[in-house]
Amino acid sequence: MEENIKMEKENCPTANDQEQQENEERALSVFASEKNEDLVALSLVIVVTFVVLLFTKWLA
Amino acid sequence: MANSDVGRPSNSPLIIISGLLLVFGVLVVSGVLTPMFKSLHTHKQIDLMEALTFIGAGIGFVTAVLRMGRMNKPMGKFDIFVLETIPGILFIMVLAMAIRWFLEPVVVIMSKQLVPVLGFKIHKVLNLNYVVLGILVGIVITNSWGIPKFAASGVKTARFVLKMGVILLGARYSFAELAKLGMVSVWMIGFFVLGTVFFVLFLGNLFKQPKSMTGVLSAGMGVCGVSATVACAPVVRARCSEMAYTIGTILGFGILCMFAFPTIGKIVGMNPTQFGAWAGTGILNSAQVAAACLAFNAVDIKTLKVGEIFNITRVLFLPVIVLVLASWYGKQSGQKLSFKEVVIDKFPIFILGFLLLFLMSSFGLFSPPGHYKGKYLDFSYNQRTEITPEELTVLHNAQSAGIVGLNAEEKAAFDDLVHQRQIAGNFAERDNKAAFDTTARKHMAGLESILARAKGKEIVIASEVKSAIKHAVKQVHKKSKTIVTLTDAMIWFFAYGLIGLGMQITRKSLAQAGGWPLVMGAISGITKATLSFIVVMYFVKDVVLK
Repeated sequence: MEENIKMEKENCPTANDQEQQENEERALSVFASEKNEDLVALSLVIVVTFVVLLFTKWLA
Repeated sequence: MANSDVGRPSNSPLIIISGLLLVFGVLVVSGVLTPMFKSLHTHKQIDLMEALTFIGAGIGFVTAVLRMGRMNKPMGKFDIFVLETIPGILFIMVLAMAIRWFLEPVVVIMSKQLVPVLGFKIHKVLNLNYVVLGILVGIVITNSWGIPKFAASGVKTARFVLKMGVILLGARYSFAELAKLGMVSVWMIGFFVLGTVFFVLFLGNLFKQPKSMTGVLSAGMGVCGVSATVACAPVVRARCSEMAYTIGTILGFGILCMFAFPTIGKIVGMNPTQFGAWAGTGILNSAQVAAACLAFNAVDIKTLKVGEIFNITRVLFLPVIVLVLASWYGKQSGQKLSFKEVVIDKFPIFILGFLLLFLMSSFGLFSPPGHYKGKYLDFSYNQRTEITPEELTVLHNAQSAGIVGLNAEEKAAFDDLVHQRQIAGNFAERDNKAAFDTTARKHMAGLESILARAKGKEIVIASEVKSAIKHAVKQVHKKSKTIVTLTDAMIWFFAYGLIGLGMQITRKSLAQAGGWPLVMGAISGITKATLSFIVVMYFVKDVVLK
């Protein structure tokens, strides 16, 4: 009986399962929110830009 | 085992990867691999190889030691965000290095060797650069062995790193590009960018496609390929498979255009400017625009310049498209968004980053603002701008023997090169920079004309003379080191992100998207190519660039 339920679940995932899977795929990120991700990306790029400017322009 | 209680993958893969990086770094430093890098034309990146491999190995070993200390302990934030993510980051980094330093050059070499058989360079036609290779490698790994357990968290950093790439993209452009184009051209580009976006949104509605797929495809088809797809995907919450489909559609359509555009352009007798404008508007991928322009006219460099400027100006419409898609997606999801909500709440911060770098570039922080993509011409009297003494002897001999078929301007430019040993203006005018540069540009145009006509077999010059002239032209072309380094960083971010993106694409997800994106892409692409063809034929004559 248990096995049947398990098989059924594997073959026809419920709407909730599908939705969850879909959401996971859309939001595959280590960050808690989109905003955090963007802010960290922006901060890192600013650091990279500063370092590049320092070594290729200001100290060169 | 240590990973049984807290679900922490084993440390061994991380130690192996760090060890491999260390060994590779040592081999690079010892010079054993230099001949191989020379044959692959990657020897100029040896310094970068040393830095990246030693830094990567160092981070890997430190992480392995820290993880060892934390085995059997519950995971905290530091574990989730740093210690458990680093193995995956290193794994993708190693793949990115393998693609940039080995796979990409090997593909180029093989493609060149196949030219006698195929008659064309297959890597150019199929656009087999790090973008496509990265996605392909990611897809192959996921669909064959699967993502290794230890690398799973690292894959989740792909979108984040791609965003860093899009922000850095802003550094390559400035208002100078917009200023180079006349207002008519800017209107034309804007009309086609927005027109295509709305047309694809309409088609998506007509064919009842998912909102996220339609949204990301509209950005890719409207603006310019990969970067626009990456930039707009979070706004419409697109899946990785939908992004991959969009990129595939754009590149696939571009392959057709690369063959069709030059043939049609020649049949209808377009002039170089018209063709550049048409290719720059109708073809999406910048590499394919360049290839089509060169196929149409390899001699007149103007075609390529016009095509490139038309193509890159589209990128500057990116923030506008993000706004349009954010409000469209909000509406489609049943939310009525006010202007303030779209502009302030929904506008992605990383696109603001793109604008920030664009502004920094426009104000001349990276290279003087008038420079095109950080490239500039330096005609000042300088030893680094001169040709070598051997080249001077070759040119001297050619001048004494006389070159048959040169026109007055070409002859003046050639004589001045022999006289001044470099491309420059008149010595007497050296204090008047504008006049000096104008004359120097005339001299450079004369020399470029000699090279072009020699290539077109209109005149015959010895190969040593040709190479000396080429060197003289190359010597005055300088590049801002800052822009070059920032562009390199951008390429690495994109390479990393696209491998991670590919790793999130399963066969199932591609099958789910079906063939509709291709149909929508083909309809909108052909419509855009046809309409831009009509506009170019009737409205663009010769004066496009200011």
